[in-house]
Amino acid sequence: MFGLRPNVVGSIAGKELRSFLGNPTGYVFLTLFIGTSAAAAFLDDGFFGRNLADLATLNRSIAPILMFFVPAITMSTWADERRAGTDELLLTLPVRDGEVVLGKYLGALGIYSVGLVFSLANLAVLLYLGEPDIGLIFATYLGYWLMGALFVAVGMVGSMFTGNATVAFILGAVGCAGLVFAGAEPWSSGLLGTLLFAGAAALLWLVVTGASRGVGLVALAGAGLGLGAWLGGLWPGFTDLVAHLGAQAHFTPMGEGIVRLGDVAYFGGGVAVALVLCTLLLNRRHW
Amino acid sequence: MTSKDSSPSDVTIRAEHLSKLYGDFVALHDVTFSVRRGTVCAFLGPNGAGKSTTMKILTGYLAPTSGQASLAGFNPSDPSQRLPMAERLGYLPENGPLYADMTPREFLSFVGKVRGIPKIDAAIDRVTPLTGIQEVLWKPIGKLSKGFRQRVGMAQALLHDPEVLILDEPTSGLDPLQIREVRALIRDLGKSKTILLSTHILQEVEAVADEVVVVREGRSVFTGTLAELRGDSTVEERFYKLMDAPPSAEKKEVA
Repeated sequence: MFGLRPNVVGSIAGKELRSFLGNPTGYVFLTLFIGTSAAAAFLDDGFFGRNLADLATLNRSIAPILMFFVPAITMSTWADERRAGTDELLLTLPVRDGEVVLGKYLGALGIYSVGLVFSLANLAVLLYLGEPDIGLIFATYLGYWLMGALFVAVGMVGSMFTGNATVAFILGAVGCAGLVFAGAEPWSSGLLGTLLFAGAAALLWLVVTGASRGVGLVALAGAGLGLGAWLGGLWPGFTDLVAHLGAQAHFTPMGEGIVRLGDVAYFGGGVAVALVLCTLLLNRRHW
Repeated sequence: MTSKDSSPSDVTIRAEHLSKLYGDFVALHDVTFSVRRGTVCAFLGPNGAGKSTTMKILTGYLAPTSGQASLAGFNPSDPSQRLPMAERLGYLPENGPLYADMTPREFLSFVGKVRGIPKIDAAIDRVTPLTGIQEVLWKPIGKLSKGFRQRVGMAQALLHDPEVLILDEPTSGLDPLQIREVRALIRDLGKSKTILLSTHILQEVEAVADEVVVVREGRSVFTGTLAELRGDSTVEERFYKLMDAPPSAEKKEVA
């Protein structure tokens, strides 16, 4: 597909997966995720108060949990390669940039999926306590997986900017936070919209001119434009429009057992946009 | 050029007026040279002279700001030509970067899979004794000495039996015995392959090179054979003379 060779993509994904699971830190993060999600699901007073065998309590907090957990997986995808200099080795092998990006993405998504599979222990608890609706649980877990898939892609974009894993974690978490808080409050939607204007202007500048010089100024101008649209009311419904980019709004129906094509397309489209962005950023070494 | 009279078909590596700017900093300025098929060319210069930048451009990792490169008949800066070029190239980047959590065996197997080598085990069995890494094949790379890591890097560069080798300071960090072995290996490989290796060690040039490109402050100040570099003095004397001469006078002097 798109000229990408499955054997190359698979080899890179396998390397990423082995690297994470071969590291004790990986298991610490997985355990933390499972523990945190279980605590959010069952230690909330609302869970027993409602007397329903579902994951509604976890659904309310899954986005903030993933906002921190997923960047911990993705922080090393590019940052470590850059720090160790292995990106030069990898990118001078006969591989396309898209194959490297997709391989790394699938590797990181595989790690997240492993964590999610282990968190199915939550289902065992529900089965012990009552009779959960399996269709509802399936839709909910599909939502968790899709939200995680989007956050993995966004976290990878954050890791593209630096050779420091801690900074990559922070950037990834900030990116995911944008998706978590968009739609939560009008001010957070407005802020995200402003940042999107700045990012889009900077990216457009980099792609069109091929030069990084002046990109900061262009980003600032983009932010000014976004701020004008938001606070100046130049674009009615600016915050409402940005609110549609929020992950929670697209996840909520799945948490209620409703899988809508539009919501699946939102997560899938978001992944595609983030991966294309990763490929463009990887290609900036030629600029 | 190292080979002024050679026809284009004899030339495997060519750099034409390569320049590279990082913002206002000029890393390379108008570097031109070529390497004939089946020769070992030493890219000689002090640290920061632009050797690694040139190699990154030749391997397609970076694009030049201006000028053109070709390797095995392909343009490394052209995305459509980069893959067939990379299939013909073995590259050892500076400091031999490797995945520390893998063993050499796992690493070579990974490189073999990405390269699409049909018989990976046979390829690994071929390069392992060649680079002397049999005893560390199953140890994590992160726990290997610098010398062994460098040799693992050499092994990955040779895994697909490429026609062109680019080696960025291949003897860096090795002990004298290992240096002797690697130089012998390079001389041996140079009988059938085109090799461009960067170094700042003058003895290395004399030990392995047929042709030499000397760079200083991002400019090529000498291109020619080892005998031409030596002239009627020594390589060392000539090198220091090139480094001390005013930049504008150098090229005229050695042309």
